[in-house]
Amino acid sequence: MKALVFSESSTLAAQVISGLKSVLDFSVAVPKDQADSVSEYGAKEVISLDGNPQMDAFGKKISELMNSYDFLFVPSTVLGREVAGYVSAALGQISVPEISKFEIVDSKCKTSSLSLGGKSIIDIISDAKVLTVAPGFADPVKVSEKSKISVMTLPDSSVSVISEEEKKGTGVNIESAKVIVSIGRGIGKKESISIVDPLLKAVHGELAGSRPVCLDYQWLSEDRQVGLSGKKVNPNVYIAVGISGQIQHIAGMRGSKIVVAINRDKSAPIFEECDYGIVGDLFQVIPKLVAAING
Amino acid sequence: MVNVIVLIKQMPDLEQIRSDPGTGKPIKNGVPTKLETLSENSIEAAVTLKEKYGGKVTAILFGNEQSSASMKRAYAMGVDDGYIITGYKESNYLFTARVLAEKIKELPHDVIILGNQSADTFSGFLSGQLSAILGEPLLGNSVSIEIEGDIVKVKRNLENKSLVISAKKPAIVSVSQEINEPRLPPVMQIMAAGRKPIHTEVPKIQPSGSVQIVSEISPKSDRKKIIFEDVDKGVSEVGKILKEATR
Ligand SMILES: Cc1cc2nc3c(=O)[nH]c(=O)nc-3n(C[C@H](O)[C@H](O)[C@H](O)COP(=O)(O)OP(=O)(O)OC[C@H]3O[C@@H](n4cnc5c(N)ncnc54)[C@H](O)[C@@H]3O)c2cc1C
Repeated sequence: MKALVFSESSTLAAQVISGLKSVLDFSVAVPKDQADSVSEYGAKEVISLDGNPQMDAFGKKISELMNSYDFLFVPSTVLGREVAGYVSAALGQISVPEISKFEIVDSKCKTSSLSLGGKSIIDIISDAKVLTVAPGFADPVKVSEKSKISVMTLPDSSVSVISEEEKKGTGVNIESAKVIVSIGRGIGKKESISIVDPLLKAVHGELAGSRPVCLDYQWLSEDRQVGLSGKKVNPNVYIAVGISGQIQHIAGMRGSKIVVAINRDKSAPIFEECDYGIVGDLFQVIPKLVAAING
Repeated sequence: MVNVIVLIKQMPDLEQIRSDPGTGKPIKNGVPTKLETLSENSIEAAVTLKEKYGGKVTAILFGNEQSSASMKRAYAMGVDDGYIITGYKESNYLFTARVLAEKIKELPHDVIILGNQSADTFSGFLSGQLSAILGEPLLGNSVSIEIEGDIVKVKRNLENKSLVISAKKPAIVSVSQEINEPRLPPVMQIMAAGRKPIHTEVPKIQPSGSVQIVSEISPKSDRKKIIFEDVDKGVSEVGKILKEATR
């Protein structure tokens, strides 16, 4: 069977192709700046999309292309989820979100996804033609032969872009960190983040944070956000400091080997999801903990 | 004056879901429900627009007979009129979009506001689906909204960039959690909301396509949960463990 992958990111598209190319024949459609880099992963064809890269333009073009494919896979990003929704409604086809597994059983799709905000894993059998794919679906694997690239023009968009600003990432990759110290709203203000510096040093850790810390207050860059809508991490040690442990956060750090939590609220849900917990004010606990580790 | 439609949903209180130790399945019966997280942000955004430009906010909730508490909450936050459509089908996103679109078509509007992704299913399909069905432009994952004449302008947040984008009314605006802090309505408004009528309807269309949930289990958590309430004892024990584990 034939499948199309759409993504604005060649890295994410490559994960899907690498994970499923043994069961499906893939073409991949990407904005033109991603076409070269996605051509190394074994897709039969790369479709390079030229034009104003807005949701409706992608949605219309992909809906047209779907005449020739059995499935559409879209890695889960803000734009990806919108485009997947657009295509499923335009074609009147069933969609399934955030899949981490895919197989074809008796000509239906069998998929696994997180549900209840990460509190459960559901297996679904459906007529789905459109699927969004959770990050980290598979490791991208390059192949020796490059895909052929064809260029297509995007239709006009009903949305105008007034201005655009790239976000500066820090280049940090918390997904590969062995030890993570993760801070939450409990840290109080940006200036207080330095309280964890000695702890980071003592445990040779990488700094990460909850969604409010990274997105709302922007105390940390977005590439340090752990959770359902951030990064999924699996370090040996995850130290949650001033994080309440809402389910959407837990979904990003469940793969950690040892979880330590520091929180002044004894009833914080993080204490249900940790191996070792210290109930106390982080500003008192952290210096003492550093002394204990270094001592 | 703006006519705003806000799309909201009800969900189980996720923090209160426990799993059955025997079967490993989440226990959903008896779990209280609440207004979904981003629905609160959506209501706040809609009511803020009304306060700024004048006009009316109409909420539509696709749920079931038990959804009136969430609609009352929406009223207390400043929603003027509310429709509950019963007969929600879990995991059939196409059906959800079609049912909502049918209702939206009956209501004059300048802007449709909804959450970019719901806190329970996390699908993020609805805004794109509605854009395709209604033929209205989508201004997605917004962290601010402005209306100038017949133009809606938002700041859109993507993973690697942020944009300022605009489109002609009527437009669909999905909001990100960062757009606002939802207000806590005062007691007087909560009481008044309780007396306000809610329109209840059934879908005018049938679901198509098959979506069957064949299994649902809780992810395993076998954490040790050793909690120290004595800080000095805690740091000395945890210090030892960290020293060992991070060597
Ligand atoms: C669709 C959706 C997706 C989401 N995705 C994510 C995601 O990817 N990642 C994420 O993190 N969240 C995500 N969230 C948000 C999530 O629901 C929570 O709102 C968020 O995780 C809370 O962050 P927090 O723990 O830092 O803040 P809070 O919940 O405010 O917790 C702060 C904690 O700090 C403690 N504290 C305060 N002061 C001190 C002190 N001096 N010493 C010790 N402890 C102290 C408090 O007791 C409290 O427990 C998402 C939500 C939705 C709806």
